[in-house]
Amino acid sequence: MSEPSDISSSQRPAPDPLAKFPQPVRAAYALYQANGDAAALDTVVMAVVRDFIPRHLAPPVEQPLADSARLMADLGFDSLAIAETVFFLEDLFGVKISNAEIMEVSTVAELRAFIRAKLARTPAS
Amino acid sequence: MSRTAVITGLGFITSIGNDRASVSRSLREGLHGMTLFDFCGNPGLPVKVAAPVRDFDVASTNTRDWSWPRGYDIPRETLRGLAPHGVYAFCALEQALADARLSPADLTDGGTGLFCASAGSAFLLHHHLAQSTAVNFDRGHPMGVVSSIAGTLNFNLAAHYHIAGPVTGFVSACASSTHALGYASDEIRLGRQKRMIVVGAEELNAETVLPFAAMRALSTNPDPATASRPFDKSRDGFVGTGGAAVLILEERDLARERGASIYATLAGWGQASDGYNVAAPRPDGAGLRSAITRALADARVASPEIDYVNAHATSTPVGDAAEALALREIFSRQNHRPVVSSTKGLTGHGLSMAGAMETAFCALAMKEGFTPGNAHLADIDPACAGLDLPRESLSRAPRTILKNSSGFGGSNVCLVLTRPE
Repeated sequence: MSEPSDISSSQRPAPDPLAKFPQPVRAAYALYQANGDAAALDTVVMAVVRDFIPRHLAPPVEQPLADSARLMADLGFDSLAIAETVFFLEDLFGVKISNAEIMEVSTVAELRAFIRAKLARTPAS
Repeated sequence: MSRTAVITGLGFITSIGNDRASVSRSLREGLHGMTLFDFCGNPGLPVKVAAPVRDFDVASTNTRDWSWPRGYDIPRETLRGLAPHGVYAFCALEQALADARLSPADLTDGGTGLFCASAGSAFLLHHHLAQSTAVNFDRGHPMGVVSSIAGTLNFNLAAHYHIAGPVTGFVSACASSTHALGYASDEIRLGRQKRMIVVGAEELNAETVLPFAAMRALSTNPDPATASRPFDKSRDGFVGTGGAAVLILEERDLARERGASIYATLAGWGQASDGYNVAAPRPDGAGLRSAITRALADARVASPEIDYVNAHATSTPVGDAAEALALREIFSRQNHRPVVSSTKGLTGHGLSMAGAMETAFCALAMKEGFTPGNAHLADIDPACAGLDLPRESLSRAPRTILKNSSGFGGSNVCLVLTRPE
């Protein structure tokens, strides 16, 4: 606690948004970036949704998210969590998602389809 | 006011320890938290020393990169809105609840309030604003506001713990958490609340601490063993520290009914301002003297009863001398010399959290039977002479403690702690 020779450093790493995600998700992201693989894109989007679910409502890791699950009513997202998810996906894929667009999205399947369609119109950066 | 506020729980994330036992040992044995510290990769910086919190990594702007000691369970939906110092505060609050033998379910019935103090996170505020200004405010991080502005502690902790009593924050710079304690004790004494949680927390990073270098307030002494030396002739400014301290205050009868262990009674408090300068303390200490007088009157304690003063003294040339003058005026007239020490010689200066941290030290000292000394004090400044300033900690418990805090704009706040009857 009192060692005077200790050099403490507050180096700030460049943030990698998927650094703490499971390896298969990172691999899927790399695959999507490489060849636009739609299934890989779905994997990433589902992982992001799962990451933003409040812990007390989060389904077990091995259980896939139901397509019909509603982000707010079933998965416990509040308006800030929706905004966070949008912000995260915007950064990840280099797109801009408007409030009007995201207001049309209610379920997991709708979000997945929306991102697919959005990125089809906006090639990966 | 017939009700009495007592302290029943403490939590510490500090440069001298991340739990009560470590903090107690550091205070008794004079183990300081200072080290050489690289603020921002600039070797030309004249400020070389700081007192960091150990075992946390909250240096990234991304909460997903953060880590904290095992045993603290911070869910993502809470972490999302926290500043780095919010993580410290969360951990200290968990400790304080366990120490007071309370569970989160005890906090939700409206009888518990939460008063917090921090300057906010200049680090995250800067990051989020830079992100937004880079795109001319086309977009911004959704958690940018609640994670960074002053108030971030109370927003987040109130939501996490579902606290339904009064919740607010205090911003009087280095007097903030002492203000929070004073007003929290009033909530209990006035019968408005049965329990109050008081939190003080700050970050140690370039954005929070280095602006004080521009005011010439920071020590440029490169030796961690002597950079913070309140009341010493060679002191040249304060050493920055971060962390969090949490105190649980309860109404005495209710605390006794549930069998809580009581550290100390927060018997009274007082405040008065210098009316003098935006940053510098009034050199004659008149504002502080008034605050002390008011605190003693509120606590119904005569000045000769005070046997320990935990000074604000931050190791700045002007501040320590003004405080010494105020203390001489109060006590010397009564021919009384209480033990005076500044624990900032061990911890550095915690800014908004200083008052809560040091009041928690006082409560610990009273309960565990020691009086903290003045670490690193070698050569007493003649301007600070006439006070009883022991170097080493004493193995006796103070019975009646005066705790001073002073902040920018000349805000002076003083608390009086007495032994529980």
